[in-house]
Amino acid sequence: MELRLTEVTKSFRDVNAVDHVSGTLGNGVYGLLGVNGAGKTTLMRILCTLIKPTAGEVTWDGQDIFSLGGEYRKLLGYLPQEFGCYPDFTVQDYLYYISSIKGLRPVTAKRRTDVLLEQVGLSQVRHKKMKKLSGGMKRRAGIAQAMLNDPRILILDEPTAGLDPKERIRFRNLLSELAQDRIVLLSTHIVSDVEYIAGEIMLMKDGRIVLSGTPEELTAAMPETVWNCTAAPNRIGAYLRDYKVANVRNLRGSAQLRIVSDEAPTPDATADIPTLEDVFLYYFGEKAGEEDVLL
Amino acid sequence: MFCYEIKKVFARTGGKAALLLLALTLVIGCWMAADTYYVNENGDNEYGFTAVRKLRALQKEWSGALDEEKLRLAIEKITAIAATPQAQSQDVRENNIAFGWGQATYGIRKLLNDAFAVDFQTNDYYRAQSLTPDDAKNFYPNRVSLLKEWLADEQGGAYYRYSDAEKAYLIRQYETLATPFYYDYTDGWLRLFDWYPWIAMITVMVLGYLVSGIFAGEYQLRTDAVFFAARYGRDKAVAAKGWAGFTIVTGIYWIMVLLYSAFVLTWYGADGMACPVQATSYGWKCFYHITIGQEYAMEVFGGYVGCLFISGLVMFLSARGRSAVVAVLVPFVIIFLRSFLGQADSRIVGEIMGLWPDLLLQMHETLAYFNLYESGGKVVGAAPVLFVLYGVLTAALVPAIYNAYRK
Repeated sequence: MELRLTEVTKSFRDVNAVDHVSGTLGNGVYGLLGVNGAGKTTLMRILCTLIKPTAGEVTWDGQDIFSLGGEYRKLLGYLPQEFGCYPDFTVQDYLYYISSIKGLRPVTAKRRTDVLLEQVGLSQVRHKKMKKLSGGMKRRAGIAQAMLNDPRILILDEPTAGLDPKERIRFRNLLSELAQDRIVLLSTHIVSDVEYIAGEIMLMKDGRIVLSGTPEELTAAMPETVWNCTAAPNRIGAYLRDYKVANVRNLRGSAQLRIVSDEAPTPDATADIPTLEDVFLYYFGEKAGEEDVLL
Repeated sequence: MFCYEIKKVFARTGGKAALLLLALTLVIGCWMAADTYYVNENGDNEYGFTAVRKLRALQKEWSGALDEEKLRLAIEKITAIAATPQAQSQDVRENNIAFGWGQATYGIRKLLNDAFAVDFQTNDYYRAQSLTPDDAKNFYPNRVSLLKEWLADEQGGAYYRYSDAEKAYLIRQYETLATPFYYDYTDGWLRLFDWYPWIAMITVMVLGYLVSGIFAGEYQLRTDAVFFAARYGRDKAVAAKGWAGFTIVTGIYWIMVLLYSAFVLTWYGADGMACPVQATSYGWKCFYHITIGQEYAMEVFGGYVGCLFISGLVMFLSARGRSAVVAVLVPFVIIFLRSFLGQADSRIVGEIMGLWPDLLLQMHETLAYFNLYESGGKVVGAAPVLFVLYGVLTAALVPAIYNAYRK
């Protein structure tokens, strides 16, 4: 059972949002990492059969997913980036409704809803209307709906967007729990979301997968060195301009910098082991995700 | 799926407000239809159910075949009342007393006014009281001769409006209508027909609003991705939306119509169902050979087809355009466009407007119009064409909605 992508391309006018992407996904958690606009959502929408690729194909066990239609979609769980819900439905009604369009029988729907509400911590609010839920709760309801049919392929597009750090940790733990015996593809621009749970990480840039591998492989393949150094506060601006600075930590009268560079930025700089954050910085030239994740 | 689609519609505040508006429409419609009065022997108006009972009892005295004998008696009575000092008085109360005496023959009086009008298109309320009992024998022949004069009139008549085949069809319809008519008290049906179009039009506008969000709502709420990525998101779930829409239309339409009909007919009585429509002044000129009961059936089923078609069109546009904004305007455009274009001095526009879907919502009016269509030497009135045309179009909309959305 594998999901195979062969030279998948999606063009919008002259822009290739997804550009000749190939790969094979078996059971496991895959992190699709890239800055906004890298093509992650487009790729995921193709995998969910929401848009057809301009070229290339996606197959499930050798059969084109678009030809499989409902047979493929019954294996699918999808949490889109812009997750909407029916504001006047209760959480329970919402999940029952999604169960029905996923083809679950009412008895199964009830059982799965009970289990998942417990799992995502929404049992207490099951009779609350969706419009009354906080952003984090809605996101959890979104994860629950994606899991209703116990999908073989779980696609989560920026599932932590808008969540606070506590919710994000909770989500990571939940995903680790749900990730058994299935393909989980998780897109994010926040490195820490995938760093600890993804077996394989794919870095996507300008529609292409520029690098993929385990977190260890990615950090090991880092072409440049990561340096820790100390600098005077009035020199920080110059370093930010001249180097890829992964982190700046202000101390009394000085600053500690983490820099990705071929050469040591200062004579007293010490080499450090690269992290996934550093890899992200190297490839995308900017910090990975939100400030609060990094600092 | 189906039940949740219906729940989605009515769980919204707008859905609940729409139901409230419909309930209010029904109450106002019933109240307006129930508004009638009886003039007593003192010339005072009486209202309410007692007035209805008295009027009904009076008019029922004249029920039966409207033959020459009955018409003679009616003319005698009408002319006798007109000759009384009360009728000729300048005092309004005295006039009202005279009017009260004529309430029993009021329906026949209006028919006499039609039958003995100066020409086909005019009506003189006082014409009946200028007749003599001997005129009664010309009651039915006059109906045909007035039509023939109108069709032959090149100045202000319909000479250029109809083809020879159409003229022959109209004359044949008039000549072959069975006479004498069976006459009865028909106030219940007539009052029902009076306010039915108003109720049907508001209902279809509200229905348009309700169903406009069934398909477009997924995009507005950004739930489309989850919907279409679901196993049945491209087939059964789409079909469930369509069926939910048509079920809502069917349920609400029939609840409105049946409650309204039940109230009006309980209030006034359902007498006169077997009378030909021509036995009422409103239907006097009608060329369709139908009874009032059949007219009611055409009215309510026509309204149903109209509601299905207009709501189907709303759903199609919202499914295709992914927005409810334009779609929700469709019922308004359909209902009001004929008011503007109907006055256009163009035969083609006239023929198109003669088959405009809003006519299904007011069959009582449609049956009174002289809209004819000729094809292959066969002439038919607009009413059956409307049923077939919009029945077929509605049937075609079902797969069109399905295919527009699932793509």
